[in-house]
Amino acid sequence: MMNSINNVELVNNLVNKTIEVLKYEVIDKYQVAYEVEKRDVHHLLITLKSQGWKQLSYLSAVDWIADNEFEVVYILFNWDKPVHIQIRARIDRENPVMETILPIFPGAKYYEREVHEFFGIAFPGNPDYQKQLILEGWDDIPPLRKDFDPQAYSDKKFPKREYPQDYSVTDPKNQRKAKRDARKERATSLRGGKTQ
Amino acid sequence: MIVNILVGLGIALFGFVLQTGIAGTNRKIIGRLQKRHGPRWYQEYIDIFKLLSKRSVSHGWIFDFGVIMALGGIIGTAMFMPLTSNILAFENYDNFFIFVYLLAVGMLGMAMSASGSGNPWASIGVMRALTTMLAYEVPFMIVVLTIVKLSGTSSITGIQLFQQTAGNNWFLIALPLGGIVGFLSLMGMLGKKPFETYIAPAEIASGPMVEYGGKQLGMLFILHEISVFIEVSLFVHLFLGGASNIFEFIAKYFVVYTLANLISNVNGRFKIDQVVKFFYKWPLLMAVTQAIVAIYFGWVI
Amino acid sequence: MKSTKFTPRTILSNKEIDRKWWEIGDFFRRNSLWLLMYCTGCCAIELPPAMTSAYDMERLGMGPMATPRQADILLVSGYLSLKTLRRLIYTYEQMSEPRYVVGLGSCTINGGIYHDSHAVINQLDQYIPVDVYVAGCMPNTEAVMNGFVDLIEQIKLKKANGWKKYHKNFDWYKKNQLDSLGEVIVHDEFHQ
Repeated sequence: MMNSINNVELVNNLVNKTIEVLKYEVIDKYQVAYEVEKRDVHHLLITLKSQGWKQLSYLSAVDWIADNEFEVVYILFNWDKPVHIQIRARIDRENPVMETILPIFPGAKYYEREVHEFFGIAFPGNPDYQKQLILEGWDDIPPLRKDFDPQAYSDKKFPKREYPQDYSVTDPKNQRKAKRDARKERATSLRGGKTQ
Repeated sequence: MIVNILVGLGIALFGFVLQTGIAGTNRKIIGRLQKRHGPRWYQEYIDIFKLLSKRSVSHGWIFDFGVIMALGGIIGTAMFMPLTSNILAFENYDNFFIFVYLLAVGMLGMAMSASGSGNPWASIGVMRALTTMLAYEVPFMIVVLTIVKLSGTSSITGIQLFQQTAGNNWFLIALPLGGIVGFLSLMGMLGKKPFETYIAPAEIASGPMVEYGGKQLGMLFILHEISVFIEVSLFVHLFLGGASNIFEFIAKYFVVYTLANLISNVNGRFKIDQVVKFFYKWPLLMAVTQAIVAIYFGWVI
Repeated sequence: MKSTKFTPRTILSNKEIDRKWWEIGDFFRRNSLWLLMYCTGCCAIELPPAMTSAYDMERLGMGPMATPRQADILLVSGYLSLKTLRRLIYTYEQMSEPRYVVGLGSCTINGGIYHDSHAVINQLDQYIPVDVYVAGCMPNTEAVMNGFVDLIEQIKLKKANGWKKYHKNFDWYKKNQLDSLGEVIVHDEFHQ
């Protein structure tokens, strides 16, 4: 059996032979990540699938709002070699479109629906990526985008409980002061000072 | 005639009170078995009266009528049950086959009502109940027919008296294999744990009872208690030599029901196909062996 | 005047008779409370010790039930997302009356740690009436049992009137449900 460092090198050779890698990162000895061009993703996925990475573990996205870009992340899993492969591709944030990978991994159907629901990325080629999956009747911008304010949405949509009195334990200063004053006053009165 | 009917209704009422009390006591016993304090012994009564005090919804007249039909059928069956060898409402009408037929009225009413609710779990539950019935009836019938052949009568009182006369033994001892088969079939009839497939609260949400709430569920609980009374009494009379007085009956009844409950509480639940396979394998084999040994060879202990 | 066989009895008014029947019914109801456990939140982990030999809720006559029709208490354990709230309202309306609601954990009271989430509601009693809240994140098992005892006490004192409130203020509750949920009807592609 090969050890894991060899596995990482093997993956590295394979990926570099197939396409041009923009950025390469070894997360630990069981995980490697490649950042590639958007157009190379499908080619790379087909190659890796034929080499044994035949399970799509996860498909998600990251919102890089400062770069005005989304990053789509595909995580592949191999049942024989202990290496997870992450494939990352940056896409435009204003017009987020990513071709579907349904012909390669049919199970990606629901992942793509979820990503569309939470980030608003379109997946042309997937017949029902626009259907709702988790959020029922959503009426705002997709909630996992960085410019979405969950606090404001929650305040608008769900009534807050109003307390007649603030029971917070972090602000007992005034009470403490009042108690201290009362104690001092009582002490002076006992010592024969002014009585109330 | 009116006196007979009143005595019959009294027997049904006695059966309800007895079985509900013993069921509550059994819940306490099971609680102690699991190192809990357990509920009060009269908890079952409270449960039933609470259900009767609640409001309930209807799913159409078949749903309501089926419950009443089932309850009526079961009370009608219980009226024919002899308590001891001399307490009996209708003389000469305590044939074993009367119970077999009349019990079907109650079961049919419940099946009809449950299907009338339109819930898929209810249909699955009813189907499973009928399948379980099909499974346990075959070995049970073979054993009972053996008993009928040996005692020469199919009257429950007759069978009791046959066992009580000098020289004859309880059928549980005379036909040991048959006794085991009878007890296993009793567990199936009562819906106790290994054969609990048609109630299965975690699996099919209590099966036929899934849509019942409030008063209808209360009536179903009464129905259940009375039908348990009929089934356990049948076992007592057929295999344990019946009873010559009421206290003996209550003692035997309590022992049989508690034993079934204790066995139930240390078992898991079979799947429905496992229930059928089980009953058609060992109990059927044992019942046929017992019948051949007892009738053709005449080897009765 | 000493009442004898011949003095006319005071005839109870209908209201009085009704009250007496309710008192008898309340005795049975508070001694046999069946739970429907809506365990979608983390507080559900407090229920196994409450049910089994550690605290044994069966000695109060309580026990788990399989369906909403059979149950008396709807036990909401923890946070409710919009998706589960729709199902919860369905479930609540299926239960047979009198019905009671117990909310476990701070999530049902004011949103708890999910107070700023886009998917989780903040106050349960805006949508269905709640009889007893058990505060804590998560509450101790003692606190949960104490909540049940409180509910029993409330039924005894005729204060557990949540289901009557739901009838009386039905429009208000429906309006709140529609405001937060958009629509209560469940559209589920897997069951259509």
